[in-house]
Amino acid sequence: MWQRETFKKIKQIPREEHVLPGTALCAGCGGLEALRLAAKVLGDHVVYVNAAGCFTMLAAYPYTSFKGSWLYTTMGSAPAGAQGVRDALDVLIAKGKLPKSEDVKVVVLGGDGSTYDMALSSTSGALHRKLDFYYICYDNEAYGNTGMQLSPATPYAARTATSPCSVQHPAATAQEKKNIFEIWRAHRPPYIATVAPRYPLDLEEKFARAAAFTGPKMFLALSACPTGWVYDPGETPEVAKLAVETGLWPLKEAINGVVTHTYIPKRKPVEAYLKLQGRFRHLFEPTVHTDAIRHIQERVDAYWQQVTKEQA
Amino acid sequence: MDSQMMTGNLAAAWGARLADVDYIPAFPITPQTEIVEALAKWCARGEVAARFVSMDSEHSMMTAAGAAEVAGARVFTATSSQGLLHAFEVLYSISGWRAPLVLVNVSRALAAPITLESDHNDVLAARDAGFLQIHAETCQEVLDSILMAYRIAEDERIMLPVIVNLDGFTLSFTREPVSLPDPEMVRRFLPPFRPSHLGFTASSAQALGVAVIGGTSYAYFRHQVHLAARNALEVHGEAAESFHALFGRRYDLVEGYRLEDADDVLVMTNAGASKGKAAVDAARTQGKRVGLLRLRVIRPWPAEAIRQALRGRRGVAVLDQNLAPGQGGILYQEVAACLYHEPARPRALCSFIGGLGGQNLSAGEFHAIVEQTAEAGVAGSGLGPVLLYSAEEHREMTQLQMLAGGHA
Amino acid sequence: MVAVRFHGRGGQGAKTASRILGTAAFLSGYVAQDSPIYGAERRGAPVAAFTRFGREPIRERGAITHPDVVVVADASLLEDPGARVLEGARAQTVLFVNSSLSPDALRAHLSLPEQVMTRDVTGIALQQLGQREAISALLGAVAARLVGLEWEPVRQAITRELEDLAVAPPVIEKNLTVAKQCYDSVEPTGLHKGGGQVISAAALHNPIYEPPTKGTARISAAGNSVLRETGGWRTFRPVLVAGKCNGCWLCFVYCPDGVIAMNQDDRPVVDYAHCKGCQICVHECPTHALVAEREQEGGEAWTAK
Repeated sequence: MWQRETFKKIKQIPREEHVLPGTALCAGCGGLEALRLAAKVLGDHVVYVNAAGCFTMLAAYPYTSFKGSWLYTTMGSAPAGAQGVRDALDVLIAKGKLPKSEDVKVVVLGGDGSTYDMALSSTSGALHRKLDFYYICYDNEAYGNTGMQLSPATPYAARTATSPCSVQHPAATAQEKKNIFEIWRAHRPPYIATVAPRYPLDLEEKFARAAAFTGPKMFLALSACPTGWVYDPGETPEVAKLAVETGLWPLKEAINGVVTHTYIPKRKPVEAYLKLQGRFRHLFEPTVHTDAIRHIQERVDAYWQQVTKEQA
Repeated sequence: MDSQMMTGNLAAAWGARLADVDYIPAFPITPQTEIVEALAKWCARGEVAARFVSMDSEHSMMTAAGAAEVAGARVFTATSSQGLLHAFEVLYSISGWRAPLVLVNVSRALAAPITLESDHNDVLAARDAGFLQIHAETCQEVLDSILMAYRIAEDERIMLPVIVNLDGFTLSFTREPVSLPDPEMVRRFLPPFRPSHLGFTASSAQALGVAVIGGTSYAYFRHQVHLAARNALEVHGEAAESFHALFGRRYDLVEGYRLEDADDVLVMTNAGASKGKAAVDAARTQGKRVGLLRLRVIRPWPAEAIRQALRGRRGVAVLDQNLAPGQGGILYQEVAACLYHEPARPRALCSFIGGLGGQNLSAGEFHAIVEQTAEAGVAGSGLGPVLLYSAEEHREMTQLQMLAGGHA
Repeated sequence: MVAVRFHGRGGQGAKTASRILGTAAFLSGYVAQDSPIYGAERRGAPVAAFTRFGREPIRERGAITHPDVVVVADASLLEDPGARVLEGARAQTVLFVNSSLSPDALRAHLSLPEQVMTRDVTGIALQQLGQREAISALLGAVAARLVGLEWEPVRQAITRELEDLAVAPPVIEKNLTVAKQCYDSVEPTGLHKGGGQVISAAALHNPIYEPPTKGTARISAAGNSVLRETGGWRTFRPVLVAGKCNGCWLCFVYCPDGVIAMNQDDRPVVDYAHCKGCQICVHECPTHALVAEREQEGGEAWTAK
C-alpha cells in the first residue's frame, strides 16, 4: 500500500509562493494550479525550460511570474534545451567557473501538444541520455494556446476545433488518448508520476519523492481547462475531481519502471464527468450517444481490471 | 608553430579545441562527421576539457547548443545542409537570445534530389537568421576563422552567434598544410567568456527568450540584432589586426586578388575561389587585366568594402554557387544593391550560376565567363543569370535520362 | 465610414459582438469589415474588436484608433490602463458602458466623453439567460441600434454568428429575445464623423545599439508579474463571511493564481488586486465561508451552491 511520507496533512503544504500572480493565464487554469503546487516543492533555485504552449505567457516582456529563471526554447525541443542548460551548469561547476552553491534544478514545462507530438523525439533523447531534470507536462488534452485543436492527448469523443462531430464520427474525436506514461516508462527513467492538483498531497509527495532520484523525473499533470473543456471555472473542483474519481485519470508513479497506483478510486460512472463539460455535450444532446459513453466506460473498466489483476 | 597536413574538417575541430570550448552537442551528417568524431575522441581522452553530447537531431543539437551558451558556457557545434535546415527555427532563437556560439556549416547542396556535394544554398538560407557568417577558402582559414569568430561573437558590442562555412568535399575532406596556433597565444587572442547578460544561477534568476507582446518591443529587439551585426564590421577589423599581430596571418572582410589594375573582376566565395584565382592567373597570361574579389564575411554585409573593390571596374561577374529559383544568384542581388548608389559603379554586372551540388567548373568555363564579362563591360550592359552548363555535361545528362527512361 | 470599437474581457464575447455588428451592417447593404486583436490574452483579460462599415470601400485595416462609438462590455475596463478604452476617443465619440451605474456616477471618478450611455447588460444576462458571460448578442444589438441599423438584419446577424459558434437553437432564441430588449433600450445617436485630419510627419527616433543586458529580450526583475494587476478580470469576487471559516486551508491550496494567503489565525486573506474571480475557492469552501459577490456593481450576492 502506497503511503505518503513527507506530506501527510494539508497544512504541510508550504505557504511560500514561487509562481507569482499577475499572469495572463485564464482564470481557473488547471495547469497553473499544478505548477504552483509543484513549485512549492521545487523552490526558487530552478530554471524552467519552456516549450511553446499556454505557459509561454508566464514570462512575457517585461514581466515574469517566476522567482526562479526561465528560458523559452521551441515547441519541439525543450528537453534538448534542458540538456544544454544542465550540461553547461555541470561543466562550469566542474571547471570551477561557477560555485556549486549556484547550481539550479532544470525543469521542462510542456503542454500536451508539445509533449505528445512535436517534442517526443527530443524527450526520448533526454530520457535515453538519462538527463538529470524534471519534466512537467501540463495536459489539458488539446492544443490549448491556439484555441483547442485535436492533440494526441485528446480523449476519445471529446470535441475540439479540429475534431468536430461528423457523419463518420458523430462522437467527435475518434482516436484514443496516446499513452505517454507507457512511452516514457519504456525508457526506464528513475521516476514517473501522474498527478492531479485536486489531490494536492499526492502531488506534493510525488515531487518530494522525485527529488531523491538523479536522472529524468517525469510528471504528467492533469490540467483541467475551463476555457477548452467548456465549463465555468468555478466548476473546476467537480470536474477535476471526477476525472480521478471515475478512474479516467489514474494517479500512479513508476520507480525504475515499477508502477504503483497511489490512489484507488471507487470509480463513479464516467457519465458524471462527461456531463459537466461542453466538449462532451454532443454525447448527451440532442440525443444520447450510448455507444460512445459505453465505450469510454469499458476502456476505464478494462484498465482498472488489469490494475487489479496485476496487484493480485 | 608546427604545420601539418589536415582536412578542413579536422581544422574545424582544431579551431574548437584551441578555443577551449566548454560544450559540444553533436549530431552526425555527411560531410561534417569528421569534425564531431575528432572532438568526441579528444573529449574522451581529456585533451579537450569540454562535454561532448550526442543529440537526437540537429534541431535538438542547436537547442542544446544555444541553451548551454545562454547558461554561460562557450559552445561549439557543427552541421551541414539538411541538418542546418532541420535546425532552422532554432537559429533565430539563438540570435534572439544573443548567444554568441560558433557553428561550423559544411556546405552541401539541399534535397531534393538528395546529394552529397557542395553548394551554398544551405548556408545562404540562414543569411537572415541573425548569425554572422564567415566563409573560408582554405583549411587554414577554417581554423583561424573559428578563433576570430569567438573573439567577435563574444564582444559586448556584438553578442551574436557566428557560422563559419566551409565547402563539403573540396575543403571538408581535402588535406593541405595547416599551421596550428600556439594555445598560449590563442588565450591571449581570445579572453575568457564572461557574458553580462547570460547565465542562470541560484543567486540571480533571470528570464530569457521571453515572449513579447506587440510590435514595439519586437521591433526594438530585432533592431538591436541588426545594430549588433553592423558593429561586427568594426570589431572584425580589430580582431583581424590582433590576429595578424599574433599569428602573422591577415583576414579582412573581403579578399582582393590581383585587383590593382583589373578591368574586370570575378566575385566568388568559399573554396571555389581558389579555382577562380587560377582562372585570373590564366587570363593574365593572355594579357587580360582580370582580378578576383572573394567575399569572406557575408554577414554583416561588407557593402563599403565591396564598393571600394568594385568602384570604376569595367565588367564584374558574380559567380553564385547557389540558386534562388525564379530569381537567380543570391549574392548577385546583394552585390547589385550595394552598388546602386556608387557613381563609379561597374559598367556591367553579370550573374553566373555554377557549381551546384558539386558541379565541376572547368577552366574552359572560367575562360568563357571572363570573355563574356569583358564583352558585357565593353558594351555596358548586364548579363544573366547565366546557368553554367557545359555541352559535355548536357551530353552526359542526355545519356542518363535515356537510362532512367529505359530507352538505353 | 463608421468605426465601432468593442472592449471586453476574454470570454465576454467582444469579438462576436463585433462580428454581429459587421454582419448586420453587411446585411444592411453596407461595405463592412470586422476584426479582433489576438494577443496573449485569456479568458478575463482585456480584449478588443473592431467593426467598420460605410458606403465606400474601406481603406483602413487593424485597430481602430479614432472610434465613433466605443462599446465597453465591462465597466472595470474603464479603469484598467492596459485596456486603453478611451484611447483616441474624441469629444463627440459615443461611449456605451455595460454597467448598472448611471453615466453621472461613472463620471464621478472618471473623465469621459460627452455622450455616455450605460445599461446593466450583465444584470439582464444573469436574470434572463442565467449566465454571466457571453453577452455578445446583447452588445452587438446595442451597438447596431446606436449606429442606426434596423432590427431585422441584426436578428439575422445574431442567428448566423451564434450558429457559427455551435450555440444550440433554443439558446439562440433566448438570446434573440434578450437582444431585442437591449436593442430597444437605446436610441440611435447622431454620429459626428471625424473630418479630414491634418497629418504631419511623425517624429522618428534613430535606434542605437544598447548593451546586451538591455538590448536582449530578458527579464532580470524576478517575480515582477505582481506589478500587473488582474483584479479587473473579475465579475464576482470571493468574500469571507465572518465567523464561518474553519481555517481548513483548502481555498489557499486550490487557488491557481496563489492570491489567497492564510493569516496567523488561519483565515484567508484575498489579494484582490490579482484575484481573477475564478470562484474555485468559493466552490471548495466546505463551510460556505467564502461567497461570491458581484463586482463593484453592488448587486445581489451570488452564493455558490
